[in-house]
Amino acid sequence: MKLIKKNIPLAIVSVFGMLTLLTYFVPHKHSVNFLEAMNKWENIVSAFAFFLGLVSLFYSHYAKISRKADGWGYSIFVYIGFLAIAVPAYVSHGKNMDGSVLTFLGWAFQYIYNPLASTMFAVLAFYIVSTAYKSFRIKSPQAFVLFVAAMFLILGNVPLGQMIWDKIFGWTSYAISDIVDWILHVPAIAGKRGIMIGISIGVIVTALKIIFGIERQYLGKD
Amino acid sequence: MLKEKLNALLKIDRRWIFLGLAVVLFGAIMRPLGLINKKISRDTQNAYDFIDKLPAGSFVILSLDYDPATSPELNPQAMAVARHAFRNNLRVGVVTYAAGATGLIEQLFSVVPAEFKKEYGKDYAIFPYQPNAIATLTQMASDFYGIYDKDKDGKDARSLPVMRGVKNYKNVSLVVCIAGTIMVDWWVQYAGDKYGVPVIAGVTAITQPGYGPYLQKKQLKGLMGGMKGAAEYEHLIQTPGKGTSGIDALSLAHVMVAALIIISNIAIIILKYL
Repeated sequence: MKLIKKNIPLAIVSVFGMLTLLTYFVPHKHSVNFLEAMNKWENIVSAFAFFLGLVSLFYSHYAKISRKADGWGYSIFVYIGFLAIAVPAYVSHGKNMDGSVLTFLGWAFQYIYNPLASTMFAVLAFYIVSTAYKSFRIKSPQAFVLFVAAMFLILGNVPLGQMIWDKIFGWTSYAISDIVDWILHVPAIAGKRGIMIGISIGVIVTALKIIFGIERQYLGKD
Repeated sequence: MLKEKLNALLKIDRRWIFLGLAVVLFGAIMRPLGLINKKISRDTQNAYDFIDKLPAGSFVILSLDYDPATSPELNPQAMAVARHAFRNNLRVGVVTYAAGATGLIEQLFSVVPAEFKKEYGKDYAIFPYQPNAIATLTQMASDFYGIYDKDKDGKDARSLPVMRGVKNYKNVSLVVCIAGTIMVDWWVQYAGDKYGVPVIAGVTAITQPGYGPYLQKKQLKGLMGGMKGAAEYEHLIQTPGKGTSGIDALSLAHVMVAALIIISNIAIIILKYL
């Protein structure tokens, strides 16, 4: 049992991980062919992962409904939402347009999915504004620096902000767009680059740990 | 008395702020102010210049990776770039790695190509959604048709006239990735850096500052940020669209945020010395 559950998966990950890594440095025809085969497999496995995710989603919401857990009524909308897109997709053979005419799927996309997704995102704007008002308060020197940078970016990103700046600070001969450019291209880049280097080192270390079988959490608990 | 009023102002019910923002946005949409960008940002100008200098007939990959949530910012960018590409007679291959983008792509390409009398298959092609972006990006380096053997309608991709002479990244003049996801990073890392394909990006305003390192090292040849980037690009191609019309609402909302933050901080300072 240990052989099937642990040793074989570890060996597969280790061998294919190392071979795929090697293809990056070996531009030979066999290497390219191997990478092409791996790419196709990866795409196929990803599609199955979607299916597995769907099954898991349905199962967890079914359990919620059958237990009548808090907010179980919302779980019904998971199934309604799925059917509202999946049925039109099946009927329309996955096509949104037939020439210049919307198919059933195109209609469902335009009049169900599109407004729902847009609304969810648009609601964020209201929360951002009220949260900015309630929490963007200068309580330390660091908060002051953040406040100043935010003010420049907020005003510098829109024409009305630029007009206000020109009216009040036009005499300084500094355009707000120049200040925004400096913030984005000097301190912001320095911070972002540090984060990117940190993430990259983390990714390399984790990948090596998986390839060499040190990191095994993906195998599950037993 | 003043102290109580200021405290009440700081603890204002958020629904009043929601109402204020709704009024501001509604007003800007109903009665546009006609604000225009005085200055085109350097990164948008670079994106425009790069595309403008491509010879007619060059093959461009347009990777549209956004869903309806981010489409108000990104769809105008995609429309402007598509218009520019068709106006300059570039060949366009459209790909996506965001499942929610397929409907938006079909809607966009049911409008824009017709403005320039461009034909599907001859001047542009749309390829189906692929679930694993990294594998697909890597695959296209050796053989485009290893993954995209068929277009969205199931036609043999090799037989499409628009794909003539296109086998892998060596035959691609530019990748334009307009994304509300991590796709821009992946195009830079897996196609741009490794195979030397020029990459231009269009991103949401909130993620724009994060792409500075790529711009500084020229890993990105240009960048459009949010609705402002779209409005700038529309101005450059002299075709106003939703980016330009949305800039009023965006302006007023930004100024309202700034005003609220300043008011709350002034109130705190006054309270401190009362």
